[in-house]
Amino acid sequence: MSKPEITYSQLLETNNLIQQNSDETYWLCATRTVQESKIFPVSAYILFSYLNCFYRFPELLKKIEANMSAEEVGDRARNSGIKILAWTIPCFYLLGREMLINWGVIKPTDAVEDVVYVMDFWKRFQLSWHRNNGGLTNKQGGHRAQIFPEQKLQVFHADAFECEVGDDLHTSAQEFMATVAQYGFLVSCESRLTIHNHGPYKISDNREMLIRDFRELSEYDFPWLDDVANELDYNNLTVAMVVEDTHITLLDDWGSFEAEPELKSEHIKAIGLWTADNLTDGHLPVGMGSPEELTATFKNLTEKVKEATSKLWTQMAGWSRDQQMDAGALNYFACAKELAHIAGCYEMKDWMMIDERAERFRPLLNDEYGNLFLGELVGMITQPSQMAHGYTMAQHTDKPTKGLSFIPYSILKDEPYTPGVGPIKGGVTNLSDKVDRYRTSQGFMTQEQLNKECRSFTMTCCQEKYRLLCADWVKYHYDTELADELFRIEQKNSRNLKDRGAGLTCQDIEHMRLARVEKA
Amino acid sequence: MSKLYVDTDKYGYQSEFAPVEAYNSAVKDLLRRKFSNSDVPWEDFVFELEESLVTKADMSAIEARLLAFGHRFEPSAMSSSQERPEAYKDSGLFNEDFFFEHEDAPTADVDDIGRTLRGAGDNVVNHENNLTGIAQYIRTSDKVLKYLTDGVPENTIAIVDDSGGTLTAPILEQFSGVLCAGGTTRSHLAILTREYNIPCLMNVKLNGIKSNDRIEVEVTARSKTADDYASGVSTLAKIWRL
Repeated sequence: MSKPEITYSQLLETNNLIQQNSDETYWLCATRTVQESKIFPVSAYILFSYLNCFYRFPELLKKIEANMSAEEVGDRARNSGIKILAWTIPCFYLLGREMLINWGVIKPTDAVEDVVYVMDFWKRFQLSWHRNNGGLTNKQGGHRAQIFPEQKLQVFHADAFECEVGDDLHTSAQEFMATVAQYGFLVSCESRLTIHNHGPYKISDNREMLIRDFRELSEYDFPWLDDVANELDYNNLTVAMVVEDTHITLLDDWGSFEAEPELKSEHIKAIGLWTADNLTDGHLPVGMGSPEELTATFKNLTEKVKEATSKLWTQMAGWSRDQQMDAGALNYFACAKELAHIAGCYEMKDWMMIDERAERFRPLLNDEYGNLFLGELVGMITQPSQMAHGYTMAQHTDKPTKGLSFIPYSILKDEPYTPGVGPIKGGVTNLSDKVDRYRTSQGFMTQEQLNKECRSFTMTCCQEKYRLLCADWVKYHYDTELADELFRIEQKNSRNLKDRGAGLTCQDIEHMRLARVEKA
Repeated sequence: MSKLYVDTDKYGYQSEFAPVEAYNSAVKDLLRRKFSNSDVPWEDFVFELEESLVTKADMSAIEARLLAFGHRFEPSAMSSSQERPEAYKDSGLFNEDFFFEHEDAPTADVDDIGRTLRGAGDNVVNHENNLTGIAQYIRTSDKVLKYLTDGVPENTIAIVDDSGGTLTAPILEQFSGVLCAGGTTRSHLAILTREYNIPCLMNVKLNGIKSNDRIEVEVTARSKTADDYASGVSTLAKIWRL
């Protein structure tokens, strides 16, 4: 037993973060329906991933922070994009803990320092990722995620091309988004982790902008994309989609959105395409020279994505169940691996392996048990550990339940507790060996090269001179040379705003757009 | 034998589903035995010692005991029942003559324009005109592979079991419509058909529609929203055999 080094204040905060995730987990699962697939044993692999997260996250997140703080990782992620981490890091980890509590393998007083650390890491990362809207989660912002700073939004707003239903650009953009979404569900083994949306961002009285990130499309970390995706030149693509006469009413912590009236293709009025990774200095335009170039780019990408989809589907349909379990579980577990890339400490053996401690439980995870146990844990909230006293009214159901167990405060008094799960010893996989080849904006690299490049590169906006120049600073210093410099960083690849500096407002950009439309 | 921490629980008793309770109780029994035999305090048992004492073979033994009682698992993925027919119920997915016979599907006699009501579902996006086409059950990767090789015939309305986006991934855009027996209008398959602008009904209840039947789908019905689901509003779009 360790002597408590955890304070009452830390524990109060940790339990608060646990409860926030508990409430939102229920809401997300209740409103977002179940995942099913004839190809993948989805529920079973999800449970498998939870165990992997419980056993591996503490050490791997500490490894990241040995290289770069969670806050600084958040700064970089905010500027280059990231997969969904708001809900995944804490909930995958805590649901693994909940499984083990209900199996009697651990007590709520076990791995206490791990739990405190993982939640604290997540909180600091999230606050940094959400720095521009001051929230911890999308939920805190009323299910809204305004992540980007003004200077990046202005470029996206100014450079997006107008389009209308039936024109070539609109048609090709729609087809691309459908095709890449389809591919994304396949890459992510029936989950939505390839796709991440944020926004909405106000454009005008009747226009809003949604940012749609499609992440990890090419050969990168997943062994199942080796060879399959080698024709895809961009690992990450970001679509800025401007919609008119509809309001995006909700964008949740799973990155999915709803609109009122219902978003249809005719609402899409402007579109733009960019790419970014950990080695680009912000977002780089893709095919953004003219509407015709962008149309051709979308068509070309669509063809390549379709080809990759067929190859990947054929590969996956031939997998054994164990391979399907591994791929699904690793896809979920490795949601946080991009943070290791940012910090320049990604290792395949850390993120693409099933931990031996989790592997022990594989024989339990048949399809039926997977569906029913997962259903109880996240939907029905009926596991014994989730039952609370009779006066309790859970946030969304009024039932006497608590989806995720707190750390008992008694550990600060005299109740014994254990600090953590300990070091990672080994891992297994039934998948093919990962080829040591990673697609980046700077070409293919080995793992070692990529880590080295990531460690030595800092995007300009994250360098010390600019990193802390936030919207509140710009508000009162927009007329300074330093503010102009800050805005020029984002503007340097812009078709319409290059070197325009910090003086423009959202309304100015919209007037410029209207003037261009009128002229055309 | 030693008690586990979770054996003393004022508010929680057991899992809701019997198979979950059977498994979770079996794991707890195993832990009780291993902990009791270890003769060390919990803090010295959990993690390192437990990890060496509780093995994958123990978990396989738990499954074997459940199967010995005659229990067979409900399959979700095709691979599960294909690889272990002794452990899973027959999925029935490869029965070429299969068709849905949902008891709660709305049905009616032939109407005045020759249509026979055979089911209904939740409309994903409302379209200007109803959809007509030829029904085809798509339930296995073998069928998808056949279509991937030969192409999907024109006017095919796919009938699928589950709401995932992976089974039909390489051929989805070739369907003129989709009827899905699971999910909601926010499931992955619904998201994808919306992106592709393919008419689609989710959560369909069908009775008597077989592969190669000519059918009409009321995709002009109002789309079912999140609020409709939350408030229990029924907005069913009809499906007729022609």
